[in-house]
Amino acid sequence: MSAPLFSAEGLAKRFGDRVLFDSARIDLEMGSGYVLTGINGSGKSTLLRIIAGLEPTQGGRLTFRAQASTVPDYPEAWRREIVYVHQQPYLFHTTIENNLEYGLARRGVLRVEREERTREALAWAGLAARSGVPPHKLSGGEAQRVALARAKALDPTLLLLDEPTANLDGDARKQVLELVTALCIENHTVVVASHDPEIIRLAILTRLQVSGRSIVVAD
Amino acid sequence: MDLFDPTRQAFSLLLNGDPELWRIIWVSLWVSVLAIAVMAPPCIAIGFVLAKRQFAGQRAVVVLLQALLSFPTVVIGLVIYLLLSRRGPLGAFELLFTPWAIMIGYMVIALPILVVFTVSAVQGADPRVYETARSLGAGPSRAALTTLWEVRFAVMAGIVNAFGRVVSEVGCALLVGGNIAGITRNIPTAIALETSKGEFAQGIALGFVLIVTAIGINVALAWLQGRGGLE
Repeated sequence: MSAPLFSAEGLAKRFGDRVLFDSARIDLEMGSGYVLTGINGSGKSTLLRIIAGLEPTQGGRLTFRAQASTVPDYPEAWRREIVYVHQQPYLFHTTIENNLEYGLARRGVLRVEREERTREALAWAGLAARSGVPPHKLSGGEAQRVALARAKALDPTLLLLDEPTANLDGDARKQVLELVTALCIENHTVVVASHDPEIIRLAILTRLQVSGRSIVVAD
Repeated sequence: MDLFDPTRQAFSLLLNGDPELWRIIWVSLWVSVLAIAVMAPPCIAIGFVLAKRQFAGQRAVVVLLQALLSFPTVVIGLVIYLLLSRRGPLGAFELLFTPWAIMIGYMVIALPILVVFTVSAVQGADPRVYETARSLGAGPSRAALTTLWEVRFAVMAGIVNAFGRVVSEVGCALLVGGNIAGITRNIPTAIALETSKGEFAQGIALGFVLIVTAIGINVALAWLQGRGGLE
């Protein structure tokens, strides 16, 4: 079997006296989808944030595309390929389009292509009609969809979604659920931390459970 | 005392473009604007680092800067006077009693205001701003700029505050500038001098300009804030 796209080994993370991970290990295969389950406070979000390079650890080794790193020296190049979406995403106080173009501009994508990819991503998320609306006027579901479109526009190799449906219900939840499913099918490597039974039941996702300071395959 | 007559004279001075009066206004404005323009970028950068990075003595630095906010400007003037005077360590530059001396004083006065406002703006910013920027591929300095942009109105309030403080400051400008007509005489030092001579017309005219400047800047800020909120 070929080497995994991303792996973490010997992961140690604690907040004060509270130990979340002790010598934990996780392997993510290219093009696979995963759902991360576990009780509240078990460390699902923290694990995603460690993978995204947003959270320091007390030890461990990360490997992405066969390149190894420790968390304090998280390589800038990885950030171009690994995108994390907050449970309650933050949208910059500008237009929806500028939010989508932000990451593309950081990758040096030229304006014409940025606008094209932004349009495509907005249409994909069913937001074409919301163009021009200031982000703070969007509903929770719409904001979540903008955040998913913003991540998708970057075509990330590894996409980390933190409880994408947690604060939504009814149609908004269904729409986001469909987008998450679509992302998983589209050959991205996706890790979703979730409590949502419908996400956990998705057949295309491998279930990983965070418990007892480590991560286990829970099929 | 009759206030009507000097006020009428004041407006006639302003409207008739009295060159001496406008020269005073010009000195006040360019020295203040330049001092703030030079200090704002480095102070905002320092403020960001102070708010975000944890290092030994960080708290002490912030407390010290906060204490400097209420430091008497006349004492700042005194220190700069001693530094710039002929026998002082910087005497060779011959800056004392020039507009540049006033500008140095203004820069020192503005420094803690600009830094402290930025620190509180950045500390008040949503931590997700920086993380979102980083996760979307921004480098640390770009993510810092994005964060500052998201809290730009709080940062701008610091700039307005610093400008308001220096443009109306008397003690330091009087000490290091020397209130020389046509060179270092600015609005506050001229008001002090004219009033002490019993010449109220010019004092009133200059006071009026100062108030209009202050109100104008605050109205501009409020307008920008309204637009920036995209309401």
